[in-house]
Amino acid sequence: MAGNFWQSSHHQQWILDKQDLFRDRQHDLAKLTEEEYQKVFNFFASIIQVLGEQLKLRQQVIATATVYFKRFYARNSLKCIDPLLLAPTCVFLASKVEEFGVISNSRLITTCQTVIKNKFSYAYGQQEFPYRTNHILECEFYLLENLDCCLIVYQPYRPLLLFVQDIHTQIQDDQILTYAWRIVNDSLRTDVSLLYPPYQIAISALHIACVMLGKENLKPWFAELNVDMDKIQEIVRTIINLYEMWKSYDEKKEIQGLLGKIPKPSPAPQR
Amino acid sequence: MQKYEKLEKIGEGTYGTVFKAKNKETHEIVALKRVRLDDDDEGVPSSALREICLLKELKHKNIVRLYDVLHSEKKLTLVFEHCDQDLKKYFDSLNGEIDLDVVKSFMYQLLRGLAFCHSHNVLHRDLKPQNLLINKNGELKLADFGLARAFGIPVKCYSAEVVTLWYRPPDVLFGAKLYTTSIDMWSAGCIFAELANSGRPLFPGSDVDDQLKRIFKLLGTPNEDTWPGVTQLPDYKPLPVYQPSLGLAQVVPRLPARGRDLLSRLLTCNPALRMPADDAMAHAYFHDLNPSVKNDRC
Repeated sequence: MAGNFWQSSHHQQWILDKQDLFRDRQHDLAKLTEEEYQKVFNFFASIIQVLGEQLKLRQQVIATATVYFKRFYARNSLKCIDPLLLAPTCVFLASKVEEFGVISNSRLITTCQTVIKNKFSYAYGQQEFPYRTNHILECEFYLLENLDCCLIVYQPYRPLLLFVQDIHTQIQDDQILTYAWRIVNDSLRTDVSLLYPPYQIAISALHIACVMLGKENLKPWFAELNVDMDKIQEIVRTIINLYEMWKSYDEKKEIQGLLGKIPKPSPAPQR
Repeated sequence: MQKYEKLEKIGEGTYGTVFKAKNKETHEIVALKRVRLDDDDEGVPSSALREICLLKELKHKNIVRLYDVLHSEKKLTLVFEHCDQDLKKYFDSLNGEIDLDVVKSFMYQLLRGLAFCHSHNVLHRDLKPQNLLINKNGELKLADFGLARAFGIPVKCYSAEVVTLWYRPPDVLFGAKLYTTSIDMWSAGCIFAELANSGRPLFPGSDVDDQLKRIFKLLGTPNEDTWPGVTQLPDYKPLPVYQPSLGLAQVVPRLPARGRDLLSRLLTCNPALRMPADDAMAHAYFHDLNPSVKNDRC
């Protein structure tokens, strides 16, 4: 499974400490509450997801792009780079690293323009996507440097498939995978990819899926796992909190106000 | 870039020029690989990205070390550990026959580097003497990972045009799309024979057909019995039926029997039967390997 995850740059450099992460965000948290900050990242995760789907990328590539995005802002303030520029740049870089084949830059820009106009007009109104190829290429350099060239990201999807395979030896149930897969996708809207190894996120997603589906009979399977259940509980709580937040949140109404509050880069990009 | 003083041009890599340079502070000698960013649309070339992200994960004595990546205005410079020469140049500089202990040491180090890559789910895909670096201490390091890929990520198929013809295994020559670590093991076998022959390539084919014929003349033409599925490969074509010549003793006359046995296990047409790197390292040929080579773990 993750036999070499332990020696990877992901494990050695990019499993962050919660306190450090919180401390590094202080600058942005002076302008936004923690919940607002999460809502902003939720929004840009949606942009990355929709961009990826429009470009017909695999979920693995989309997830990697989202993690790059989160890693960048784990060490930098939102004012360093406009997230609307960083989001497509992350998609561009991830597609090359994951060997999806290069997306042509002009296609990326066109897709950004269409997506912003058609799917996110509730956030940007009549404003057009303001960036061009040269901005993306410049931003790619900056991103690469800030990631310290750690580009291989382990995702929870592969361990999840292995766990489900193992579960199938005991119980035949296709719903569990479908649910857990979606929960892993949703987990990209939280900080868990910065704080926990992917296999723990996979187990947590399975755990939530089983609770949702009322699979009591899998309790022995979980009991036999040799994992730190406290960590699993932390991840589960983070994801459940996200679902709680969604219940009372209308992004379409609030996001414009939130985007107005985020620290802005200066000076504005050259058109 | 102010940190390094360029000394001389070493060569042209897959995606840019390579210079020998000196770190002005530490006086350490390094190799600088300048990445050309001439294609406005692609940004940082994917081959360079591949090399950067894989070498970031692979830290081993037998794999060339990436020290640093320097960003400047419009270019990217990769800073590598410097080695004095590559295996090709080493061959060229030989006076007479190669020392058989050196063959054993180089081969073991090649296998150890490969075993490490393979255990990290990385295929090199382009092994050849030019991509094996040798330093003054007789250490061998795998380099040029521009074509390598992490195979952990499922992809439908790989491009067939990846390995230099001479070191390309028959399955790839027949158009196999889903190859594995076995591709590198074939190349390692070809390099083993070339080492034992002081730099004479084993199968210097001129095109795909010629390459296959050279291989089958030595090893026998495979069929469905010796290699189930061979006739189903995308570019399979019936070739003259050669019988195995059993002539490894003539092909690598200086190699002892154990070495020939190891060679025959690497040069196995059926990729499923080809010996993996960690098994090869445990082969009896290496039992009398100089302990200083064997124990020199990273």
